Amino acid sequence: MKTPDCERYIEDPDANAGHLATCEECRALFGVNPNVNAPKIDVHALPLASWEGAQHRSWPVVIVAAMALFAIAAGLFGASGASATDTLAANIPTISRLQSLVVLMRQAPIMIVGVLFVVVNTLLIALLRRAPKGLSRGLDV
Amino acid sequence: MSRVTRFIIPATTLTALLALVLMLAPGFASVAAAKTASPAPASQPLLSQLSELTTIQGAAAAMTKTAVIVSMLFVWIVMAVIVTLFAGREVRYSSVEVRASALYCFALGLVALTSFVITAIVFSYLVPYIVGVPLLAALGVFAILTKVYGMISIFHAAGSVVAGSRTRAQLDRRRWFRGDLAMVIAGVVILGAIRLIPVAGTIVWSLASVFGIGTALATRFGRRDPAFLAWRPAEA
Repeated sequence: MKTPDCERYIEDPDANAGHLATCEECRALFGVNPNVNAPKIDVHALPLASWEGAQHRSWPVVIVAAMALFAIAAGLFGASGASATDTLAANIPTISRLQSLVVLMRQAPIMIVGVLFVVVNTLLIALLRRAPKGLSRGLDV
Repeated sequence: MSRVTRFIIPATTLTALLALVLMLAPGFASVAAAKTASPAPASQPLLSQLSELTTIQGAAAAMTKTAVIVSMLFVWIVMAVIVTLFAGREVRYSSVEVRASALYCFALGLVALTSFVITAIVFSYLVPYIVGVPLLAALGVFAILTKVYGMISIFHAAGSVVAGSRTRAQLDRRRWFRGDLAMVIAGVVILGAIRLIPVAGTIVWSLASVFGIGTALATRFGRRDPAFLAWRPAEA
């Protein structure tokens, strides 16, 4: 650089922006060249990212789907003549059913269970060490 | 895909399948059923099940069964809307992950499912010592949360694959059918319709559960946190 003004401009270009108007050499180096065209990016040609439009909350779709399912379920219960509350309550697991499941589980041979416990959980930990790949494959979120 | 990953994932899948088959083998099941002394329901051949549909009682039973499935789909829609409203970005990330690396998510889901079952058996041995009860309860809650979150991610993935916008112009044209909520609802409807098919529906829904558990754990519920931090000494 030629002068201390040039050095001051390099150190803080924003504070010494007026220096470009007086120094031809710095203007050639750091000034905006109107002949250089910025790269043209066609946004519509880029692939659609998964986050685009994702925040839109389409309540009509939600309401229509929920009401349709509710109406179908009510219609089927009505046609079959079964009580909806009794039938649904019968499908919920009860404490006694869970207790019988625990009793059933404890029938397994303890040695096999112990070996499988160690092997399967070691595999699980080994698999969990891998980082997710979604971002690195161009599927932006 | 690295050589190690190519080896580990099929080996893991096979091991998990073997473990599941061992646990559900007829020998173990029959011994367990005999010890619990509860009469097992007789399995009916497929043809006799189909012939039941020709009677009024059979048709009514089939309608009741379908009504229960549709009611559960309604519950799924409510849960999916709540989770997507509060954690839409996380659900979207998990959905992207299952589409980007489906085999890994399936292997992880299979291993995790096997791990849940075996860990529950191990914890059930601790039930007489009191500590087993809270451990079993915690495992059950974690498994249910994983399944629910994972299924919602699978709904989003299925909805995006089948009904998602392919181009920006297509996205701009859509007024209502866009966004995470719409994709999740589309997924519930698509997978729910498949769920109503007698045999294939159950298989597809079970596979979706395995994929869902896998993607939920693979992405740490969409938060992308590392599961295990690697220790490195500080450099001076």
